[in-house]
Amino acid sequence: MNCSDWEERIALHAGGDLPPAEAAEVERHLRECAGCQVLASGLEQSLALLKEAHNEPLSPAHFPAVRARVVAELEQEQRRGAFWARRRAWGYGLAAVAVALLVMLALRPGRTPAVARTNRSLTVAAPTAPVVATREKIGGGRESAVRPHIRRVARRVVRANVPDTSNPEPLLVKLVTDDPNVVIYWIADRKRGE
Amino acid sequence: MKALALLATVGPMDGSEDRSEPTGCSLEAAKAGDLAAFNLLMRQYERLVLVTALRLLGVMEDAQDASQEVFLKLYRNLNKVGASGNLAGWLYRVTVNVCHDAQRKRRASVPVEDAAGLAAVTADPQRAAVETERRRTLEMSLRMLSERERAVLVLRDLEGLSTQEVALVLGTSEATVRSQISKARVKARDFLERYFRRRT
Repeated sequence: MNCSDWEERIALHAGGDLPPAEAAEVERHLRECAGCQVLASGLEQSLALLKEAHNEPLSPAHFPAVRARVVAELEQEQRRGAFWARRRAWGYGLAAVAVALLVMLALRPGRTPAVARTNRSLTVAAPTAPVVATREKIGGGRESAVRPHIRRVARRVVRANVPDTSNPEPLLVKLVTDDPNVVIYWIADRKRGE
Repeated sequence: MKALALLATVGPMDGSEDRSEPTGCSLEAAKAGDLAAFNLLMRQYERLVLVTALRLLGVMEDAQDASQEVFLKLYRNLNKVGASGNLAGWLYRVTVNVCHDAQRKRRASVPVEDAAGLAAVTADPQRAAVETERRRTLEMSLRMLSERERAVLVLRDLEGLSTQEVALVLGTSEATVRSQISKARVKARDFLERYFRRRT
């Protein structure tokens, strides 16, 4: 057997990694081979040097530094987590309130059909009469400029024709639908100069 | 898995580390987000993680960064780690992986001034210089090795794990560990021999 074949086993033997039978075999070879003895002693020396160099204790100051960095990072994560948890809670709360309001509105006696009809009528009926009534109240004499076919943007129509007054009066829009039982009044506060 | 459980009972490296498994109480508290309990857990394992990282990376600053990452991973995986029941084995595995990633990132520059971060504390400046030089050399002998060989040598020869434990930590076979450790030892010996022959 060539000495290079022994190299791996001698290296394992130097670290005590061979089972007793193989270790005995390596020791027998080492007794007979000067070259392998040099290799074995070199391996043992280098291992001893490495172990010695790495066995010296670290400065205790290195450890708290790591701990402090980890804790700071985790505290920041926890704060971020709490912030998003609060935001989620607010979101769920607001959604719940909105749903509750919608349910309350829908269940109010006598209101549900009217709302439904109103929505439909706004796109169908011509609100010329109520707009006229509104103009009379606000500025007078300029209602004819309002065109019924743009009733879907009735608010804009009304505002466009409102005289520029420094005295802000509440704006009243009355919408008459094709259902005689449904009349919509829209009262809006106006800001000065609007 | 039985062998990995042995990792928990491996003797202290510097005589100052307690590698016994954490008490269920502190582990449970840490899992519940108690940072004070987690701090205790870190104290118990900080030497294992930082020293291993330092031996693998060779620079204290990098080793501290790696340790920080390992402990953050530990915090985020406490449930899984707690269930496995072998924190030391998990920490060795994660430390080796984090250090491999760090080595790949900083492959270009290889400063060895820290030389294992083991500052020579001596009053004699000449002796200190010799000591620093010796440490640099030993550190460089580890740097000559491949990532895998270095990890095997650090875990087996410097951390004192058995071949079986090293195989479990690295997720490989004992035969592979034996092959790598023998190559690593021969390479380290060749480097040191060449270096010291040149110096004398």
